[in-house]
Amino acid sequence: MGEFKVHRVRFFDYIPSAIRTMAFNSQTERLAVARADGAVEIFNFNDNFFQEKVIPGQDGRAIEALCWVGHRLFSAGLNGEITEYDLENLRPQYTVDAYGGPIWTISSNSQGTQLAVGCEDGTVKIFAILEERIQFQRNLNRHKGRIISLCWHPSSAQIAAGMTDMITIFDAETGHATRRLLVDRATGASKNKEVVVWSVGYLSDHTIISGDSAGKVQIWNGLTGTLVRTYLVTKWDVLVLSVSKDESSVIAGTSEGTVIQFQFISSTVDQHDKEWVRTRTFRNHSHDVSALAHTDTAVVSGGMDTQLVVRPLLDKVEKNTQESALRKIAFPHRSLVGCAKKAGLLLFQFPDRLELWKLGESEGHGKPGDRLPVKRKPEKLIELKRKGEDHICCSALSACGGWLAYSTVSNVRLYRIQYSNTISINKVSKLPKELRSVHQLCFSSDSSKLFASSCQSSVIVVAVSQQECRYLHTLKHKTGSRQPVHLLCASDDGKWLATANTDCEIHIYNLHKMKLHCMVPVYNSCPTTIAIHPVTNNLISVHADQQIFEFSLVQKEYTQWSRRLQTQGLLSLWLERDTPITHITFNPKNLDHIILHDTYMFCIIDQSLPFPELNAVLWNQMTLKSLPVSQRIGQSHAFKICKSFQHLMCVSLLEDLSLVVVERPLLDIMSQLPAPVRQKKFAT
Amino acid sequence: MAKKQRGKASSSSKTADIEKPTKSFTLSLESSDDEAPEEVTFEDSKAEALRSMKQALDTARREKQLLKEKRRKRQELFQEQKVSVCHFKWFQMLSEAWSLTNPDLKGKYTVTTVKERTLASFQQQVAEEFIQSRLYGPGTCRTTSELVASPYFIFSSKEKAKAEKLKKRWLHKQQIPSS
Repeated sequence: MGEFKVHRVRFFDYIPSAIRTMAFNSQTERLAVARADGAVEIFNFNDNFFQEKVIPGQDGRAIEALCWVGHRLFSAGLNGEITEYDLENLRPQYTVDAYGGPIWTISSNSQGTQLAVGCEDGTVKIFAILEERIQFQRNLNRHKGRIISLCWHPSSAQIAAGMTDMITIFDAETGHATRRLLVDRATGASKNKEVVVWSVGYLSDHTIISGDSAGKVQIWNGLTGTLVRTYLVTKWDVLVLSVSKDESSVIAGTSEGTVIQFQFISSTVDQHDKEWVRTRTFRNHSHDVSALAHTDTAVVSGGMDTQLVVRPLLDKVEKNTQESALRKIAFPHRSLVGCAKKAGLLLFQFPDRLELWKLGESEGHGKPGDRLPVKRKPEKLIELKRKGEDHICCSALSACGGWLAYSTVSNVRLYRIQYSNTISINKVSKLPKELRSVHQLCFSSDSSKLFASSCQSSVIVVAVSQQECRYLHTLKHKTGSRQPVHLLCASDDGKWLATANTDCEIHIYNLHKMKLHCMVPVYNSCPTTIAIHPVTNNLISVHADQQIFEFSLVQKEYTQWSRRLQTQGLLSLWLERDTPITHITFNPKNLDHIILHDTYMFCIIDQSLPFPELNAVLWNQMTLKSLPVSQRIGQSHAFKICKSFQHLMCVSLLEDLSLVVVERPLLDIMSQLPAPVRQKKFAT
Repeated sequence: MAKKQRGKASSSSKTADIEKPTKSFTLSLESSDDEAPEEVTFEDSKAEALRSMKQALDTARREKQLLKEKRRKRQELFQEQKVSVCHFKWFQMLSEAWSLTNPDLKGKYTVTTVKERTLASFQQQVAEEFIQSRLYGPGTCRTTSELVASPYFIFSSKEKAKAEKLKKRWLHKQQIPSS
């Protein structure tokens, strides 16, 4: 099959940012997740939980709460600002200072007409939600002590606000506090420590549910102001609550990393005496759970361990199907590694900087499994820190290694790199003004052009040369889609450019004529990666539901191979993989090979071999190795999967045919996270 | 009771070599258990214990005072900043009013918000410190992430079961006599 020399790279010090908060939009089935560095990610729950959009963070944004109002997304944070996001251009649309100091919580009423924010200065501020903006209306009566959490009553007539040592119920109309619910402090040694009500829920029947820093979940009667029931669920804090849409279930997230479910059920058959009962406990996190979302079928949680966990509720989904499987999303669904194949260079993208590394060299040969001696160690050539507060959105490295570009929401930067005795990097100062609001960057294979995707899925083409960077053309499509481009790739011969947007549209442009060539038929799952074969100019696309397609750019139709694959069908083990394919590359020595990878495996698809039968074994590499060479061909099929390297951030093939495998073991990330709570564990 | 014993010991030890006074007082009886602990040793260790206790109390008191002082200073600074923002907003209003009465100055000057920016970032810092102290401050019982990443820190039941199986297999192997 193939023997490769592998550069096993473990020096990409990627650390994901903690999840601070999340909000689920049941209308659009989208989950918005805010991270500690201010980035906002949108996951499509209708499309295999694909991370379709990422809005980069900003220094100081410190988001504490997110809120959907229809299709609009708002956030509020410790910088005292309310931000509305432009989800088509992946940037903040505008920010409004609430003038109440840091904002701890934000919530909209059920009609979507008003936003309430809880501020550091003890006020709850009401903003009217207008068409293109929000406008300050009034303050509710001010209280001593910060407002940490709040929740509207479904009627929009009251607001329950969680503070220190108490919950206050406000009349939303008059602004007066109508009731004060006093929350008990912890017993014992922590008696002198104030109790913080981290989260509140307000149900239609005026039941208030609170989670506090003393580890209690309390059920209150909001009409009489009395405490109905207390559950002490943890020694540490209950950081977050989420109520299901039908108000029959509440989930609470704790600092221990557990998520506890309470359900409104009755112990008797006739269902008359319903009460809130603690039911399930989910232990899917190693660190504090600070964000929760309760969908109709699942419990979604996230926190300090940076992983997004989707736990389907087994009474709402069919058991033992893919639908009921636990999902853990630990790595981004896009590549953060660029590879200059000709020069043997790697570009690592961090939110605050770029690192350019030269791969090492080995000497000698060996058998499969041998570790070759390293003649020259890998070397960090350049560390380029970004300018300004906005985090890096995307980056690109030309194949020759001579050009480097990155963009933020506010600007684009282009650098020329020269390699002589020393490395020199020079910024190209005058960039065309058309280069704004760029989401994806890509150099042509001959490094003469830079492609930048911009608003409404258009692509800006600029020529790069020693002397200048000159605007050439803007490529536009005809579908009217305003969604951003998340994938961009150019063919090796310089004739074709392919783009994919989050409306699942793949557009092909002819670069010789500088116009739209065709659009690939829309498949209803979003493409997660696309690539153009260097010789056949066929476009390979892999989608969020793990389907693979091959489209001939010249013929403007799916290839025979692709049609055969669709007819045969992919094996269920392939389709049930829970991480997306994020990169495709090809082997110049063997044109039948397609090399692709997800987080846990890389696979070489051999287009000359038959597809596996539906009852065949997908991971058959071990079996094949044990057979004598003459017998192997009978058992071989097209999918050659290798699981020796994990967790994969990138797999690429250099010009000298050595494989580059960039790994980021999860344990390396875990060891650098902030301290979790001390618990008694097996063997500790 | 002890005194009597001590008296006896001093008389009997006159003939024996004078041993070095031991630092710690152990309850176990040695072979020559007729000898009681030396008087000097006990007093010394008692004094030492009292001294260290007093030191600990002093340190705790000092730390408390330091924290109080820090909190007071922060509150003062906060008040100061609040006042300065009021002043600043007042200044902004004044300058706007002034520009209205002087139409030729309109749009030809800008008021920079340097002080307000410092206040906002200070408030943000205070808020972040609040979260930090509530979740990671004293009394929050946290461990280290190195321990979490260690092979012994297993937190899913599947992994626990796997580890138990491996452990059983290994133990079984150990019981097989080596040939």
